[in-house]
Amino acid sequence: MKAANQTPRSEPADEAVMPEEEPESPGEQTLSFRAITDDQPPEEPSVEDDFSEEEEEFDLPEQVSSALTDALSQLREAVTGLHLGLDVPGADEARKSQAAVLAQLDDYVIPRVHMSTAPALIVVAGSTGAGKSTLVNTLAAQTVSATGVRRPTTGTPVLVCNPADELWFQKGTLLSGLTRVDEPGEGPGADSIVVASTKWLPHGVALLDTPDIDSVVEEHHDIAHRMLDAADLWVFVTSASRYADAPSWGLLKLAKERGARLVIVLSRVPARSREVISKHFTRMLDEYGLGEVERFIINETSVTNGRLPDEEVADLRMWLSELSVDEQRRALAVQATLNGVLNSFRARVPALARHLETQVALRADLRSDIDAAFSSALSEIEESTRDGSLLRGEVLARWQDFAGSGDLMRTLQIRKAKNHGPERIGALRGALRSGLESVISTAVHRASEEVVTRWRQRAGAGDRLAALPGLGRPEEDIDRHTARMVASWQDHVTELVRTEGVTKRSVARLVSFDVESLALIFTVGLLGYGTGDAPGGNGALPQRLLRGLLGAESLRSISGKARSDLRARIGLLFDDETLRYVDALDGAGIPDEAAATRLYQATYNLEVAR
Amino acid sequence: MTITAEPRHGLGTRLAALTRVVDLGQGREDADLLTEATQLIIRAGNRLKLSPDHTVVALAGGTGSGKSSLFNAISGLELSPTGVRRPTTARTHACVWGLEGAAPLLDWLQIQWRHRFSRASALDKDDGQLHGLILMDLPDHDSIRALTDTEADRLITAADLIVWVLDPQKYADASTHRRYVTELAGHDAVTVFALNQADRLTPDEVEECLADLRALLAREGVENPRVVATSAVTGGGIVDLRAELAESVSARRAGYLRIEADLDRLMLRLAKDMPAMLKVDPAIDPARRAGLTDALCDAVGSPAVGEALENVHGTRSIDFVGWPWARWAARFQGDPLKHLKLGDVKEEIRSLVSESVRAQPAEVDNAVQALSDGLTQRMPEPWQDAVRDAARSRSGQLPKVLTDELAEIAPPLDRVPGWWRLAKTWQYLLVLLFVAGLGVTGAILVYGVLEAGEPPAELLGDVAALPWVLLMMVSVLGVGLLSAVASRNFVVMAAGKERDRLEREMRRRVAAVAQDLVIEPVERELTRYNDYFAALDTSRR
Repeated sequence: MKAANQTPRSEPADEAVMPEEEPESPGEQTLSFRAITDDQPPEEPSVEDDFSEEEEEFDLPEQVSSALTDALSQLREAVTGLHLGLDVPGADEARKSQAAVLAQLDDYVIPRVHMSTAPALIVVAGSTGAGKSTLVNTLAAQTVSATGVRRPTTGTPVLVCNPADELWFQKGTLLSGLTRVDEPGEGPGADSIVVASTKWLPHGVALLDTPDIDSVVEEHHDIAHRMLDAADLWVFVTSASRYADAPSWGLLKLAKERGARLVIVLSRVPARSREVISKHFTRMLDEYGLGEVERFIINETSVTNGRLPDEEVADLRMWLSELSVDEQRRALAVQATLNGVLNSFRARVPALARHLETQVALRADLRSDIDAAFSSALSEIEESTRDGSLLRGEVLARWQDFAGSGDLMRTLQIRKAKNHGPERIGALRGALRSGLESVISTAVHRASEEVVTRWRQRAGAGDRLAALPGLGRPEEDIDRHTARMVASWQDHVTELVRTEGVTKRSVARLVSFDVESLALIFTVGLLGYGTGDAPGGNGALPQRLLRGLLGAESLRSISGKARSDLRARIGLLFDDETLRYVDALDGAGIPDEAAATRLYQATYNLEVAR
Repeated sequence: MTITAEPRHGLGTRLAALTRVVDLGQGREDADLLTEATQLIIRAGNRLKLSPDHTVVALAGGTGSGKSSLFNAISGLELSPTGVRRPTTARTHACVWGLEGAAPLLDWLQIQWRHRFSRASALDKDDGQLHGLILMDLPDHDSIRALTDTEADRLITAADLIVWVLDPQKYADASTHRRYVTELAGHDAVTVFALNQADRLTPDEVEECLADLRALLAREGVENPRVVATSAVTGGGIVDLRAELAESVSARRAGYLRIEADLDRLMLRLAKDMPAMLKVDPAIDPARRAGLTDALCDAVGSPAVGEALENVHGTRSIDFVGWPWARWAARFQGDPLKHLKLGDVKEEIRSLVSESVRAQPAEVDNAVQALSDGLTQRMPEPWQDAVRDAARSRSGQLPKVLTDELAEIAPPLDRVPGWWRLAKTWQYLLVLLFVAGLGVTGAILVYGVLEAGEPPAELLGDVAALPWVLLMMVSVLGVGLLSAVASRNFVVMAAGKERDRLEREMRRRVAAVAQDLVIEPVERELTRYNDYFAALDTSRR
C-alpha cells in the first residue's frame, strides 16, 4: 500500500554526507553487521550476550572516537555552562534551545556515536488523535500504549522493542536521562519512559510512541520534541482531517531542517476519498520539498482493543522488517539522522552564542545607562558648584548678611586687638550646607529617574528591570547620607584652611583671621561667587580677599584640594547609589562573554573531529 | 447570562465611560491596551448601529472539523462546498434568515456578494425561529493557510455568537483553546461548543468525550459551557444546535451580550493593576500648600533675606544716624584690610549687598519633588510619574519667575531712607555746634583768661561765660549721643517692621506663583486621575 514513487534505498543526500564519515563508518559498519548477523537467530536470542558483545564490539576506532568524544564533551560543557539570565526578546526560545541541545547531546548524540547502528529507535510522532498509539499497538500486536477518545491520550512515551533489544534499551545510555517505568504515571510524564517488549517487532528496531505535538497540554509538545531529538528515524503520523494543520507542517519543516530520516503515515483516510486526499497531500509535500519522503496510507477502519486490522499496517510491517534485516540500510538511516543532528549543531550552537552576545551587549548597554545617568548628574553638580548658581536664595541672603553686617570685616583681626568674632558663621555655614545638599539630591533624583527612563527604552530585560520597585527614586536615606557627606566636606575645608592657609609673611605680623569664617568665605569663593551669572559686578571679592591674605599659590592649592575632595565624596555617594542598579542588573544574571567564544570553539572543534 | 448583585450600567454608558478612560489614560496606561479599547469602542459602535434584529453567528473551528457540513446541515442547503481536501473553505460564506436590513451588516462583516445566501422564504416552520440569523461558515484558523490569513480571527472577533465546531480528533487542540477559548473565557452567554462528527464514536464514547471536553473547558475558565454533540452526516444533534441558535436569535441580545463580555474582559485587564478604586483629593490640602510655600520661601531664602535686611540696615544706619564721634574713634583702631593692599574693599563689601533676591533652582526642584512625592504615595506608578511631570511641567520657569516677582518687592539692602540723612545732618549740626563751642572756649581762654588782646566781641572775653559754654558743649555731645541711640532704636524698629512686611509679602507672592506654576497643573492631573478612575469604575460595572 505504499504511496507512489518509492525508493527503498536512501536518498542521495545521505550518500553525499557519507564521505565525511569515512574514517569511522566502514569499520564500524562491518563490525555492526557482523555483530547482528552473529546474533541473528531470531528465536530467543541471548539477550545478555548481545548486550555485552555490543559494548565491546561497537567501539569506534580509537583516535577518531577520542577526538569526537572530546569535541562532544567540550560542546556539552560549553552548552551547560551557558547562563542566559537576561530576558531579552528571544531569551525563552534560546533557553529552550539550550535545554534541547543539551538533552539531545545526552539522550542521543553522545550515546549514539559510541554505538553507531545498534537497535534503531523509530519515534512515532504527530498530532493528537492521529492514531499514533493505535499504530504502535497494531505493529506491536498488543496493547502497549493506551488508546481512547480522550484528547490528548498519551502522556508518557512508550518504547516497544524486540525482547532481544529490551535490555539494551532498559540499561542503555540512549535517553539515559529518563526513568524506566512499567506503567505510565498520572499526567504528562516528563522524566519517565515505559519500556515494553514484543516478539512481533523485528530485531534491531524499536518503536517509540510519543505524546502529541499540538494539544492543550503543552508539556506534551516538549516531551515529543525531546523524543524526536533522540530518534534515529521519525515516523510522522497525521490524519485525513489534519494533514493541513500548521503544527504538523511545523514538525515536517523541523525534520527537514534537521536532516532526520523521515517516514510519513497518513492515517484515518476514508476509503472513498483516498485518491483525492493522497494526491492533494502529495502535492503539498512536493510544494514543501518533501516529495521524496516515504509515505504510507492507512484507511479509516474500526479500531478494536486499540488496534487496527493487521492488513492495514502490512506495508509498514514490511518496511520495519526490511530495516531490521538490511543492516546496510539501517546503518545508513541511523548515520544520516546522526549526521543531520550534528549538522544542525552548526546552526543551533552558534545561534545560542549569538543570543548570548546580544545578552552581553544588552548588559553593557544597561550598565552604560547607569554610568551615563550618574556621570551626567556629576557634571551637573560640578557645573552648579562652579558657576555660582548655588549662591542664590538663602545662601546669598546669608552671605549678604554676613558681609553687610560687618562679620566679613570681623573675620580679619588686627593681631592682639581684642575683637569679638563673627556672629553669623553658623547661619552662613548652614545655608551653604543645605544649598549643596539640595543641588546634590536634585542631581541624584534626576539620575535615578534617568536610569529608569533609559532602561524602559531597552526592550525586554531593561523594561522588566525598570519595573522593579523603588528603582525610580533614590535610596530612602540618601538625604541623610548627603547631609553627612556635605558636613564632613565642610569640616575638611576648614581643616585645609587651618593647616595650609598659612598667612603671607608680610601680613602675618599684622593680621590674623578666624579660621571658621575664612573657610566659609573660601567656600563662597570656591562655589563661583561673582563668576558666571551671579552678578557681582566687582570681581570675585572673596578670592581677592583670600589671595591677599594667603597668597595666590596657597589659595590655588587649597582650591584644588577642596574641589577634588568634593568630587571624590560625591563619587563615593554615587557609587553607593549606582550599586543598587548594578545589583538589580546582576540579579538578572551576568552573561559570561567567554561562553560565546567557547561555544564557537566547540562547534568548530566538533566539525574538525567529524 | 451572568446575574450580578448590583445593578449594571447600560452598555452605552459603559462604552461612553470607556471612551473617557481611553482619553484620560493616554500616556499613563499601557498603550496596547488602550488601542484595544479604542478598537472595541469602534467595533461596538458599528455593531450597535447596524441591524439589531440580526444575530451574527460564526461557525469557527479547525480544518476538517466539519464547519461547512454543519453550515449546510443547519441551513438545509448545500451552500458551502465541503470536501476531503484540507483546508477546504478559504472564504467565509454567510446564510441569512430574513434578508431585510441585513445588507449593511454583511457589508460591515466584509462578506463577498457571491458568498451571501438567503433563506428568506420560510420553507419549513422551523425557520421561523431562526428569523434574523446570519450564519457564517468561517475558514479554519489552524491550517498552514491560516498562518497568512486573519479572516477567521477578524470574524471571530466580530461575531455576536460563536459556535466552536470541534471534533473527536481535534477537540483539545492548543490552536483552538490557547488562542481563542481561553482568551474568550467569560463569553459563556455567546459561545456554543458543538462536538461534531459524533457519528464516528459510540454513544459511550460520545459521553466520555463530552465529559472530558466539559472538564477541559472548566479548567480554562468557561463556567457554564453550552456543549452540543452533533453529526452533520446523520443529522443527530442538529435540532439541538438549532434550538440553541433559535434561543439566542429570538432574544436579539447576542450582539449586546458579546460586546458586554468583550468589555468585561477588557476591563479586567485594564483594572488589573488597580485592585481597588483609589480616589485622591483633587484639591491640594492647605497643609501641603503651606509646605510647598515654605519650601519655596526657603529656596529664595526669604527668612534669611529678612534677617539680612534687618542686620544690614542696622549696620549701615550707623554711618548715618550713628554718633559721628564713635565712628571717627573707630577709624583709629586701624583697618586690617589696609595691610592686604586690596584697594577700597570696604566700598566693595558695601556694594555686595546691593544684589537682589534670587531663587536657588535645586531647592525649587526639591520643593516641587517633595510635593508630588507626598501626594502620590498611594497612586499607581504611571500616575505618580504623571503627577510628577505635571508638577515639573512649568518648574523650569519657576526660579526665574520667583526671582522676578521678589525682586520687585525686596528693597535693596543699601537703601537709604530720607530721615537717615536728616539725622546725619542733625548730627553734623551738633558737631558744628560743638566745634563752635570749642572755638568760643578757646577765644575765652585767649582773650578772657590770658587777656592776650581786645576781644572782637564782648562775649569772647567773658570768663564767666566759660562754664556755660562748656556746659553747652557737653550737652551737645549728650544730645548727639542720645539722638544716635534714639535713631538706632528707630532704625531697628523700622527694620523689624520692614522685615515683617517683607516676609509677609514675599510669602504671599511665592504662594501666588506656586499656585500658578505648580499647584494648578498638579490639581489638573489629580482631577484627571480621579476622572479616569470614575470612568474606569463606570465602564467596569
